[in-house]
Amino acid sequence: MSNALAVETIRVGRRRAIKLPSPSSVIRAGSVAALCLGLLTLWQIAASHHWINGQLFGSPLGIYNAAYSGLTQGTLASDTLITLYETLAGLAIGSLLGTGLGLLLWFLPALAGLAEGFSILLNSIPKIALGPLIIIWFGSGAGSKIWLAAISTFAVAMISSTAAAREIDRDLLNLFRSFQAKRSMIFRKLILPSALPWIFSTLRVNIGFALIGSVVGEYIASQAGLGHEVFVAGSLFDLNTVWLGVIILTLMATLLTFIVQLIEERIVSWKPKR
Amino acid sequence: MQQASSISAYQQARRPPSAAAAPARLQVSDLSHAFVTADGVSTRIFERLNFHIGPSEIMSIVGRSGAGKTTLFNLISGLLNPQHGAVTVGPRDNGMPGRIAYMLQKDLLLPWRSVLQNALLGIELHRAVTPADVERAKDMLARYGLGAVAHAYPHALSGGMRQRVALTRTLLVDPTLVLLDEPFSALDYETRLMLEDDVMTLRDSYGTSVVLVTHDIEEAIAMSDRVIVLGGRPACIEQDIPIELTLTGQRNAVSAREAPEFREYHARIWAALRGPVAHQGKGVV
Repeated sequence: MSNALAVETIRVGRRRAIKLPSPSSVIRAGSVAALCLGLLTLWQIAASHHWINGQLFGSPLGIYNAAYSGLTQGTLASDTLITLYETLAGLAIGSLLGTGLGLLLWFLPALAGLAEGFSILLNSIPKIALGPLIIIWFGSGAGSKIWLAAISTFAVAMISSTAAAREIDRDLLNLFRSFQAKRSMIFRKLILPSALPWIFSTLRVNIGFALIGSVVGEYIASQAGLGHEVFVAGSLFDLNTVWLGVIILTLMATLLTFIVQLIEERIVSWKPKR
Repeated sequence: MQQASSISAYQQARRPPSAAAAPARLQVSDLSHAFVTADGVSTRIFERLNFHIGPSEIMSIVGRSGAGKTTLFNLISGLLNPQHGAVTVGPRDNGMPGRIAYMLQKDLLLPWRSVLQNALLGIELHRAVTPADVERAKDMLARYGLGAVAHAYPHALSGGMRQRVALTRTLLVDPTLVLLDEPFSALDYETRLMLEDDVMTLRDSYGTSVVLVTHDIEEAIAMSDRVIVLGGRPACIEQDIPIELTLTGQRNAVSAREAPEFREYHARIWAALRGPVAHQGKGVV
């Protein structure tokens, strides 16, 4: 009687081989690169022929020179590392606290509504406006930037994890209860794994928020970091260095997103591939 | 839990073993339940329901939608506490407490667990899984034609295969009574017949009792020893029909449907579902 099922073909979820990029994605990446290169060339020609004011707009060669001198003086690497450290520490603290608190609220349904309202209120605060306050409390070192980044990410993480825990299928909860599972078991074996995809998508959004927190913190008061570098260069009309900072921050955000995605693919490997 | 206390209550009430046949797997006595809506109106769902399920008996409950079949299951399985009356789970033959397992129309497989891990979930939730459990799970999966996919994730499986994993998960906790809430209604006809056979085989080989809620009268007749028609508001047992089929060979999902009495039972149950019937033997079985 099971013959009909046995011959059915099924895809068995095996560990995937190394994934080669598809031809269409190579072509797309290639055209984006070509477009960027073309724009940069155009920009450089315009600046060299004084069609635009190089002082006000900067130029690709100027950015290159800024990068070269920054690298040889060692300031570029140290500024980048400082901002990366502040962003990562803030992201970790904010996401961990927010996600942890949001998920644990599942144990206290009476409190969950109150806490969710509070976190929505918290999320409505323009976190950057808290900058001066944070600087006063935590000083002008890395600490205040970490906390600003943490505050920027906390509310989003909490709101989304509270929702993730609340959105669990009632029938699944009933199934666990019909197996006489304890609440701690339901949390570990049902709530936590179902929340994982939510946690990762929040983490990806929060990379941007954490970066804003740390960089704006550096704008307000700091002695180091890419934000500090950009802010100082801006007030000196050194637009090339400003561009350099922006480019590095963009690359940093892209890299972090990519890393989170890699981790997600590892951990949430059960998800059907599109 | 409520069920534990009910078990002891049942054991106290049990007559000496010599007095009667084997104890019922489930005894529902004087069960009444009402829902209170948001505006404070209380709707009575059941009024003094009485029935029992014996060892290795398959009983179907049919009723119009909204008759409270799913609520009844939630009460039996302990997800809801009855407001009045008692649900008592009978002991195993060796005197150990009996156990109810519940299976729904949705397979409710966890997408992040492999087929094998899903099958073991019920055990895992109340004690540590032993190598013997894993072997037993593999054996049972193999018997249901799932041996080759034990390590696949559920999304790779067809609906019928997924429902069989759910059945394996239900059976691995060694239940004395299995509650099936329209478990096959989302499946195609052929797969459905196969799963109906699976359930009947289960009863034959392990003596497990089964309560099936379905709106498919044919399925109820083909599988059951007894069909209960639930109706009215508040719901009571309108009819309790023993199914006796004349079969030439082994009873299975197809041969049962070919029995000469099949149409007759169908007509009788259909009539009971459709029209208001005099409440013969109201609520008492």
